[in-house]
Amino acid sequence: MMADKTFILRIKRQAAPQERVVWEEFEIRYRPHLNIITCLRDIAEKPITRAGDGTTPISYDANCLEEICGACAMLINGYPRQACSALVDNLEKPIRLEPLTKFPLIRDLQVDRSIMFENLKRMKCWVPIDGTYAIGPGPRMSPEQQQIGYPMARCITCGNCLEICPKVNDHTQFVGAAIINQVRLFNMHPTGNMHARERLEAMMGPGGIQDCDNAMNCVKVCPKSIPLTESNNEINRQVLKHAVWDWLNFSEGPTERDEEWKRLGIQK
Amino acid sequence: MKEPKIIVVGGGLAGLMATIRVAESGVPVQLFSIVPVKRSHSVCAQGGINAAKNLKGEGDSTWIHFDDTIYGGDFIANQPIVKSMCEAAPAIIDLLDRMGVMFNRTPEGLLDFRRFGGTLYHRTAFAGATTGQQLLYALDEQVRRFESEDKVQKFEGWTFLSAVLDENRICRGICAMDLKTMEVRTFPADAVIFCTGGIGAIFRQTTNSVVCTGTAQSALFQQGAYYANGEFIQVHPTAIPGEDKCRLMSESLRGEGGRVWVPRNAGDTRPARSIPEKERFYFLEEWYPKYGNLVPRDVATRAIYKVVFEEKLSLAGMNAVYLDLTHLPREMLDRKLEGVLEIYQKFVGPDPREEPMKVFPAMHYTMGGLWIDNERQATNIPGIFTAGECEYQYHGANRLGANSLVSCIYGGMVAGPAAVKYARNLEKGCDATPESVFYAEASRQREANDSLLNQQGFENPITIWKELGAWMTEHVTVVRVNANLQKTLAKLDELDDRFSRVNLADRTQWSNQTLQFTRELGNMLILARVITLGALARNETRGAHFKPEFPERDDKNWLKTTKASYNGGKIKLEYEPVDISLLPPRSRKY
Amino acid sequence: MPGTASKPDSSYFWDKLHSLSGIIPIGAFLAEHFWSNSYVLVSPERYNSTAAGLEQIPWRIPVEFLFIWLPIVFHGCYGLDIWWRGKANVLGHPWMSNWMYVLQRWTGIVLFAYIIWHVWIERFATHGRSTFAGVAHDFANPYYTAFYVIGVLAASFHLGNGLFNFCCKWGIAVTPRAQRAAGFFGAFVGVIFSVAGLLIVAGFVYNWHPFSGYL
Repeated sequence: MMADKTFILRIKRQAAPQERVVWEEFEIRYRPHLNIITCLRDIAEKPITRAGDGTTPISYDANCLEEICGACAMLINGYPRQACSALVDNLEKPIRLEPLTKFPLIRDLQVDRSIMFENLKRMKCWVPIDGTYAIGPGPRMSPEQQQIGYPMARCITCGNCLEICPKVNDHTQFVGAAIINQVRLFNMHPTGNMHARERLEAMMGPGGIQDCDNAMNCVKVCPKSIPLTESNNEINRQVLKHAVWDWLNFSEGPTERDEEWKRLGIQK
Repeated sequence: MKEPKIIVVGGGLAGLMATIRVAESGVPVQLFSIVPVKRSHSVCAQGGINAAKNLKGEGDSTWIHFDDTIYGGDFIANQPIVKSMCEAAPAIIDLLDRMGVMFNRTPEGLLDFRRFGGTLYHRTAFAGATTGQQLLYALDEQVRRFESEDKVQKFEGWTFLSAVLDENRICRGICAMDLKTMEVRTFPADAVIFCTGGIGAIFRQTTNSVVCTGTAQSALFQQGAYYANGEFIQVHPTAIPGEDKCRLMSESLRGEGGRVWVPRNAGDTRPARSIPEKERFYFLEEWYPKYGNLVPRDVATRAIYKVVFEEKLSLAGMNAVYLDLTHLPREMLDRKLEGVLEIYQKFVGPDPREEPMKVFPAMHYTMGGLWIDNERQATNIPGIFTAGECEYQYHGANRLGANSLVSCIYGGMVAGPAAVKYARNLEKGCDATPESVFYAEASRQREANDSLLNQQGFENPITIWKELGAWMTEHVTVVRVNANLQKTLAKLDELDDRFSRVNLADRTQWSNQTLQFTRELGNMLILARVITLGALARNETRGAHFKPEFPERDDKNWLKTTKASYNGGKIKLEYEPVDISLLPPRSRKY
Repeated sequence: MPGTASKPDSSYFWDKLHSLSGIIPIGAFLAEHFWSNSYVLVSPERYNSTAAGLEQIPWRIPVEFLFIWLPIVFHGCYGLDIWWRGKANVLGHPWMSNWMYVLQRWTGIVLFAYIIWHVWIERFATHGRSTFAGVAHDFANPYYTAFYVIGVLAASFHLGNGLFNFCCKWGIAVTPRAQRAAGFFGAFVGVIFSVAGLLIVAGFVYNWHPFSGYL
């Protein structure tokens, strides 16, 4: 029988956060169109290192396997990306797998990215609706507006943009491009905009927009090609406008609508 | 009375909608999900969501939507509840629109609609080609809002193990496992809503996500819940074959004008685009002139099987057909379908705008699921409600494209308030349940874990799973032959036996994914048997259930719902009549 | 670690002030500084008279303090803090914008040292009186010259790229097209300053005065 073509996978492993780091090498049988997830499943079926030692299957997060759930982000040859869409054919061998470094490690290639969901909560990233009752259609929106909003709404919260950002680290509390992009999305929605002030205030807090220093790496690793730098700069603009307004008024900056109400003699 | 306690298991569309409805009524919710809810399988839904809003002047109505759904499902769905769903659909779209879903728009700023399979109307609202993702995110955001108000408490990274049933077999809570610490714990609840999605993993290479194992449904089935119509499994006609999964190529590609064809000459090795028009066989358009490429999925899938396996007109070197978009304007493709085209490009390579895609059918959806009553989404176990793909109610023998999202959301909208009402009317809540009931269930589950962890043997769970998937895909999907189904049952016996000798390569107590998967596999094996037994018994052809030995629909003997029950390791099938009070069955010819 | 911001704090204000101070007054001063020094390219006499003119402005010390020293000290010290809070990864990911980010930090550090040295030898060691002969004497030392060249290039880069950053951070350049335009603008400013600065250095080193005659 002809020997199968194989390649080497080097995986950074850690049985638990407090355990020591071990690198393990695995020899994987090559097949066309193979992705990293399939390699990890091969290992789960036969958890033996290249040296012939028995080991445990690799822990990793994965779900949809078509790059839309965001679960399987990891460092593949040092580059943050989704393991499902990382095809072995296109990768330099030996392939190196590491967990994302900007999030608390759980085990092996698994990390805890709940901080991103927590930040979405604090930034009030939702449209404030009155209820789920049948109370008519939503606001109208031009096709142009939809074409701007939809790409932003495709963020899968994978964390790649945080991983690659030099300003996301232990010395800062930077929330990262993914969250800033969501703030922009909800500020542009006709109803979501009613909470824009609170989001902008939050964006001026610790870890807010000011921590972005324009390395512009985020936009390069986004698997969904979201215009993240555009979102950052747009939020910079919105926050600045909000901040200057506040400052000029030495107080809670009234919105234009509040001003109009005042002129009309309506008490809030 | 005291505030009731409600648990929702599963954070996909149905689970999130149920959560929102319960939280909105002022009752706090505990929401359990294996993955962070934003990563649920609902994100994979691509094409859109159906609602007869009739915004294109075609005279569409909720009644026609209802008729299409019942007809598409080959008359085996109970009709009143399907009618209610179709009537609720337009308001559901409005609600999602208000939540900020970035639906595609017309120049007037209204929602755009496209065509989908099994209907002649533009009835499908869509957000690019990632509609499920957009809907899930909208609901996720609303749940997050309730979470920030402390009305929802999330348990992400927990897996459901079993329901806690008291001595009267009433559900008093759940037993779940933290997938990080492997802690097994019970959570008391007056009512539990299960929205645990599909069962694709039983067939392994499917369009489903990793978590779609049906483990929760199977666990409940083993605890006494009926499982209905398990034999109706939808195989989607167009997906990219793959070793780890088959990637869905949405029906919307055909809805927007994509055409399916094969070369007329077997073994034609020319590049697709150089094959002249007259040497292309547009078999769906030829065989089904009225619906063309938009026949329902079961019909399209069988047509592809016929072309590939009977007429031997496959593409050179692989079992596949062309799905051709190259005649469509690029700008439209980018605006309406980019999400799907991107998947094809990333996983296969060529640009589908330039080159026809190579696709083949793949297992996609289960019409069957936990049995529920007709109006409350309640299972036969008191206190257990269910919504979404994990229940059986809306799609009969074949689901129409873009009906799943609406059934998920509608089911969640019904199940939430129904659970609250049930819980409020309980004489004795879970607080009155003796501590020992919870303790016993937790111990039972811990013992199950321990026995797996300590089991000795040489069987690997992944190997068993691969064989299970291969057998189920070969014999229990598109073409069902009784002899093969018998063989599959024998194979399942063998796999059960080998499962009892599974050796866990990981015996640790920290994020042990092997233990989690092995528990799921055990449950998959049981559901696989339910599906196979149901298919074996049903000697007719109806919707997605196709038996060449019995090629006709047999309303006299089989216009009835399969109800499987489990008792002491034995699966029993019984049948109940279908409610056809609104629409008399007629023969199904597209 | 990513944080969980919710309320504004002073960091936004200081950050914006840092960004602004780099342009006004520091950038403006740099432009003025290069302009004044360019008189060396006319003749040593014009240089000396320009220097004398600047040395004899009213309120010299308060003006210098308020518009030069204080902004530079603030910009430099806050800049050090920003440098400390960044974790560069340009070696693994050598994209141009990533290089720009890293270079902005490192030119900042270089300039921090350079400006201290430069101010010391040209402002305090000379008791605030600059003459062509004095500066030319400094340039006789090749190490001094080398440091000057580095300083001039670092300052030009830092200003040019800083202008681009300013356009982004103040929401002036939002769309990719506007970002590109801002990038070209920054590059243009950086190149002009580099060329001008190097010519000024050449003027001192080689006693070179190309603008001495009427053209």
